[in-house]
Amino acid sequence: MVVLKHLPPPTEGVRHEQTDTTAVMDGQRLGCGTLYVAETRLSWFDGSGLGFALEYPSIGLHAISRDLSTYPQEHLYVMFNGKLSEENESEMPEDDSDSEEDRAITEIRFVPTDKSALESMFSAMCDCQALHPDPDDQDSDEDFEGDEYDVEEAEQGQGDVPSFYTCEEGLSALTAEGQATLDRLEGMLAQSVSEQYRMAGVRTDESTAQFEDGMEVEAEAGQFEDADVDH
Amino acid sequence: LFYSFFKSLVGKDVVVELKNDLICGTLHSVDQYLNIKLTDINVTDPEKYPHMLSVKNCFIRGSVVRYVQLPADEVDTQLLQDAARKEAMQQKQ
Repeated sequence: MVVLKHLPPPTEGVRHEQTDTTAVMDGQRLGCGTLYVAETRLSWFDGSGLGFALEYPSIGLHAISRDLSTYPQEHLYVMFNGKLSEENESEMPEDDSDSEEDRAITEIRFVPTDKSALESMFSAMCDCQALHPDPDDQDSDEDFEGDEYDVEEAEQGQGDVPSFYTCEEGLSALTAEGQATLDRLEGMLAQSVSEQYRMAGVRTDESTAQFEDGMEVEAEAGQFEDADVDH
Repeated sequence: LFYSFFKSLVGKDVVVELKNDLICGTLHSVDQYLNIKLTDINVTDPEKYPHMLSVKNCFIRGSVVRYVQLPADEVDTQLLQDAARKEAMQQKQ
């Protein structure tokens, strides 16, 4: 039995608002209402003002589902780590140190009446997820990002908002310097890949000699440019 | 380091295993927090999570990923090992 709470809808930082959206939680249809994708949290409210809100750090995955054979309507699927069907909404399985993390999950579907809005709902959620990084994410990545940050900023030309690196987006957003860096990396990557294939065929001492060659190693290390700061 | 590593894997098929046992598909993109976007996914264990069968694209939060299974011929493990070792040494200094 899902407990809906009387919460006020978010008023600030709403990235996307989708009316006429049905929410289905763990197979239970909650009714038709409005989905708010806000920068602070994801929330949904039905006509009477009852609803629920999800914190982004607990949203494990979200996706657009379009295959009608598994579910009769196109919708936004959200996997939330935790259970909303109990009174204690903030209960996290991590309290028990013996149990595995994120075992209890809630699957939620948001079915908008307007199917064309699914893409923007998905994108808005991606953006908001990026605004809530994990606080206890490790160690080496944090320091690493401190060094890498300049390079990435130069390449992407972005401010504080982390952006996804894809094949297409990355290329179009690169500056001339970034493009040169990418070309260098791709060249080295291709070089190292082709050398792998060569070495696979020739299993003699020559293959180990290639690795011991200082120049070769340095060139290949360029594939992971951030590791070699003095490059 | 691993951000760069994953960037070099963009476009390749990987299997992402989440902490709650769900499994996914092809790496489309990655960001600096190691959140992952996958396109054209296949659910490897359909009985456990039938709801994902109809999903083609998904966004996975970095913190819910347990493993990323990589194609062996796409990765130069020697190189990765050396690079990781170097970075670990740099951070200690």
